[in-house]
Amino acid sequence: MTKSNTGMVDPQESAAKELKTYALGFAASVLLTGVAFAAAISDLPAVWKVGIICLAALLQIVAHLRNFLHLSFSGGQSREDLLLVLFSVTLLAIMAGGTWYIMADLGGRMHEKGMMPHEASP
Amino acid sequence: MSASTSPIVGKLDWTVTPYTDLLHQVNSSTIVGAGAASVLVLGAVAGGAVLTWMRWWGPLYRNWLTSADAKKIGIMYIALALVMLARGIIEGFVMRAHQATALGTLTEPESGLVAPDHFAQLFSTHGTIMIFFVAMPLLIGLINFVLPQQLGARDMAFPVLNQVSLGLTAAGAGLVMISLLIGKFGTGGWTMYPPYTGIQYSPGEGVDYWLWAILISGMGSTLTGMNFAVTIFKSRAPGMNFMRMPLFCWTSLCVAIMLIYAMPALTVSSAMLALDRYAGFHFFTNEAGGNMMNYANIFWMFGHPEVYILILPAFGVFSEISSTFSGKKLYGYTSLVIASMSIAVISFTVWLHHFFTMGQSAGVNIAFGIATMIIGIPTGVKIYDWMATLWRGRVRITAPIVYLTGFFLLFVIGGLSGIILANPSIDYQVHNSTFLVAHFHNVIIPGVLYGMLAGIHYWFPKAFGFRLDERWGRRTALLFVGGFVFTFMPLYVLGLMGMPRRSPTFQNPDFLPWMYVASFGAVLMLGALASLVWTFWTSYRNRAALAVPGGDPWNGATLEWSTPAPVPKWTFARIPEVKARDDWGETKRAGDPWKAPEGYDDIEMPADTPHGLLIAGAAFALGFAMVWHIWWLAALGFLAIPALLAWRGMKVIEPRIIPAAEVEEADRRFRATVASLAPATRADEESERNRGRPDLAEFAG
Ligand code: HEM
Ligand SMILES: [Cu+2]
Repeated sequence: MTKSNTGMVDPQESAAKELKTYALGFAASVLLTGVAFAAAISDLPAVWKVGIICLAALLQIVAHLRNFLHLSFSGGQSREDLLLVLFSVTLLAIMAGGTWYIMADLGGRMHEKGMMPHEASP
Repeated sequence: MSASTSPIVGKLDWTVTPYTDLLHQVNSSTIVGAGAASVLVLGAVAGGAVLTWMRWWGPLYRNWLTSADAKKIGIMYIALALVMLARGIIEGFVMRAHQATALGTLTEPESGLVAPDHFAQLFSTHGTIMIFFVAMPLLIGLINFVLPQQLGARDMAFPVLNQVSLGLTAAGAGLVMISLLIGKFGTGGWTMYPPYTGIQYSPGEGVDYWLWAILISGMGSTLTGMNFAVTIFKSRAPGMNFMRMPLFCWTSLCVAIMLIYAMPALTVSSAMLALDRYAGFHFFTNEAGGNMMNYANIFWMFGHPEVYILILPAFGVFSEISSTFSGKKLYGYTSLVIASMSIAVISFTVWLHHFFTMGQSAGVNIAFGIATMIIGIPTGVKIYDWMATLWRGRVRITAPIVYLTGFFLLFVIGGLSGIILANPSIDYQVHNSTFLVAHFHNVIIPGVLYGMLAGIHYWFPKAFGFRLDERWGRRTALLFVGGFVFTFMPLYVLGLMGMPRRSPTFQNPDFLPWMYVASFGAVLMLGALASLVWTFWTSYRNRAALAVPGGDPWNGATLEWSTPAPVPKWTFARIPEVKARDDWGETKRAGDPWKAPEGYDDIEMPADTPHGLLIAGAAFALGFAMVWHIWWLAALGFLAIPALLAWRGMKVIEPRIIPAAEVEEADRRFRATVASLAPATRADEESERNRGRPDLAEFAG
């Protein structure tokens, strides 16, 4: 970790291989975006639509991290990369979970339908 | 504003300036509005004239605007922030002057210096400017200047990206500035809560000015965060492991992490509001399934980490100066590191305390209230650490130490009123009152403002080669302390008496005496601003007497004091090998710290480029065009950004190489200068005998 980093691409890694990774990532991203749009336009039930869109989004995040940001769990940087992922997931879980907690509670207090009330209604 | 949109100039026409309002009706409010616009115009004209007269356009462009040097970028950030600070303080003064004359009666409620709508614009621009275009550029600028030097790095990890970040911030600031002259700013406060700021209740350009200023500058801040983080992880000098980093670097790391994870929330909430306004979406509207409470939720997911983004760099500065000016090692280094990191993480778990009264159940409020109180613990640890650092040291009462003392006394009060507000049942009584206004100014001014000004005073000689005048520095600091006490302590009382914040008028005559006291404080604040300007000016005139070519005027212990003042563009003639925490201090203790390095190498520096400037221009055009619905210009600006990126991506860019001979020559000259200087003791620190070579015999810390 303390060794200085020149920010250069490892010369051993050929440019062609780099390019292939990027192209793969790009193709996967386009495909997954297409899937999300297709799901939105289709006449599947709403729960399915939301589920498919969320799944496509998650997969696309993985594709970006792997193919564009060179995240990997093997090799010289794996420990740092793992820590980074865990830290990010923790913060995102706090934000997403907190939002759910707060908005569901508010929805429940307003007798909103389709939300999970935090407290039993009176 | 005209009813129809022209394809060429959008909604712009000749009636959008405040001069039209003035012609329409002459009263104190329109005079203030037109006066502010005139100050802007005259300022711009005068600035342009001076640049032309002195033939400074060329040097400005070559040496500053196209520079990718983090040190220069940092200085430009701070210059931007100081200009915006002047506007912010003047607006604060106008608001205080207004409220001192705003006692209405039930039959005639409207009175005071400015009209209610104008008052609303004042607090909205004041809040927006102070947070996004004063506090943020101050701290980002200071980190840019100091961080690479303390890490033993030549530059940021991504120098050109850094330039782009500065450009985006300046473009956002430009949008807020131009709203003085062209059109109006929003009236929804610095938070711009919908549904009031939705298109239905706030048609027109005001909210859009805010949205685009925030979207553009927010993007810049996110990029800055990444730049800082990568720099800290990848560009430290050999041997500079994490637990050897100066504390300012640690707090910078916390800031970087928080910028990366918090700024996107602001971008998301603003983008959603923009979609509501421009594209007929219903994220935050009353009907069609919108939920405006989610805006408050997302906004404060950014907003709370933001306040710690603001305060942590100040904590870093106070760590450095408490140690340097008492001639002692920083007390409790490890505890300060742990406390900073804890604050960075816990600050993501408390955001709900900004909307305790929105209607969620008590259980939710209690959970976040407790989390909020917990964050007081690491902050308390820090205060004790700094006091212990000063304890039994030979403290010199320099301007930064005056700021530190003011911070100790006042910040603790502000922090305690924060803990009071963290109790939901109390918050129900005083939320949205001037008690809250007093609380956040009570942490922001003694924390952020004093901290940043102390930092500027401390590192100024490194940037420009001469010290700032200590006497005027202390006067400024005392004026800011006194001004704060008179302006904001009365607001605690007024809040408890029931005065709501953002009130253009009030009917209770009992409020008046406190209003007068607060206005007197605002006058002191103006005086402090003038005194700050004067400090720079008088120090500039005395620069020969205040020069410190030795580069180490305060007998410091961290790496940045080992280089000449002003610091050369390559910073270190040779990247230091770090062997200890406070490495420069250890070198001093070991004997001859100014020994020349064994050899010199060519130095590779990023080439100057107008890239950041061009992106800033495109972003400004995009924002301005979107505000006024000038669609062709918006499309042009929007497409120009990827085009510029692609263009730069395809060009072959040669770095600038500084030959070893040039570095060697400069470095030998520096070492000869140091050898020729007489060492100055700490007692002589403020006198002309301080030429930047300290007396090593006195170095204990
Ligand atoms: C230096 C002298 C200053 C004065 C005289 C001043 C005065 C004021 C006044 C009168 C208000 C409106 C209070 C109300 O709503 O009733 C206000 C709001 C505010 N101020 Fe200041 N202020 C000063 C400095 C600062 C600084 C340094 C910051 C932050 C860096 C700051 C941030 C804010 C914010 C965020 C608001 C809330 C705006 C809103 O309601 O949306 N102020 N200030
Ligand atoms: Cu908060």
